[in-house]
Amino acid sequence: MAEYIFRVFRYDPEKDEGTRGRVQEYKIGVERGWTVLDALNYIKWHVDGSLAYRRACRHGICGSCGMTINGKNTIACEQQVADLGTQVVTVEPLRGFRVIKDLIVDMEPFYDKLYAIKPYLIAYSDPPTDKERLQSPEDRKLLDGKYECILCGCCTSSCPTYWADKEFLGPNALMKAARFAVDSRDEGWEERVNAIDDKHGVWRCHTIFNCVEACPKELNATRAIVELRRLMLKGRL
Amino acid sequence: MKFPRTSGGFYAWLFQRLTGILLVILLIIHFAITHNLPKGGEVTYALVAPRLATATWKVFDLTFLVCALFHGLNGVWMVVQDYVHSETAQAWIFYALCTLGLVLLVLGAITVIPFKA
Repeated sequence: MAEYIFRVFRYDPEKDEGTRGRVQEYKIGVERGWTVLDALNYIKWHVDGSLAYRRACRHGICGSCGMTINGKNTIACEQQVADLGTQVVTVEPLRGFRVIKDLIVDMEPFYDKLYAIKPYLIAYSDPPTDKERLQSPEDRKLLDGKYECILCGCCTSSCPTYWADKEFLGPNALMKAARFAVDSRDEGWEERVNAIDDKHGVWRCHTIFNCVEACPKELNATRAIVELRRLMLKGRL
Repeated sequence: MKFPRTSGGFYAWLFQRLTGILLVILLIIHFAITHNLPKGGEVTYALVAPRLATATWKVFDLTFLVCALFHGLNGVWMVVQDYVHSETAQAWIFYALCTLGLVLLVLGAITVIPFKA
């Protein structure tokens, strides 16, 4: 067991309203194999029950525990404490979103952007009555690297364009739009294009690549955005 | 949340890319010819003036000027759209950038076009 100091951002809306929050230090022993989420759980269960953060699956699937750890966005359940390489670990809420309490941020604006591009299969033709809507293995392969998103918010929260322009759709929504744009079964391009082809849409991205570095699932949102632009370019020319 | 359709993003992006590519090509030609790279050597008035007086070079310089002005000011306009959220302020800045571009274009043009060696 190794000693670590966790410097955790704290914000209590009842006490800290109007302030920029504070940092609280917890000195705890960390066992081998612990993730940052395990350490936060230990703090909450044994040291300070008032600490608030989101978590659910503990296996990098639900996307609940997105946060900024030592300045880098990731999901706490996939970040091994030992891999951080520091004895002092800084844990902050995701940037660019309003803090509700401690490490919990308001994700509504993030979801609003996602809803704006209609993140579901749109098909006007009737499905076959005896089987699913089939897709060739080649067409299915086009979705790889685009469909695996777990909606943790790490990408959009790391995007400087989003920090400046809160109406920007952000890498997450644009990657989801690209995922449906290349889906051979989808017929919803016309319904989505207005949101994508907007001054807060696909053209706002300045290819900063922060989203690529931040994604805990190692997805390349910038490439997806470039693919969307290519599609729109072909459509216009 | 409503996302009204607005225009401009596509063409601003497209011409930023196109002028960017053109600028790289024009810059290489400019350096190669004006500074006689890779050999180098002194750049004198007597050496440069006759070339600047040719029609080809005037077209070249004007293309260079238009590309650089568009690329630079369009870049500023993109940053403004990120950070300035008031539509009125954006409109004012947009027209100010257009005016600045025009003034600089005219200044450049009256330097390049009537030039005689």
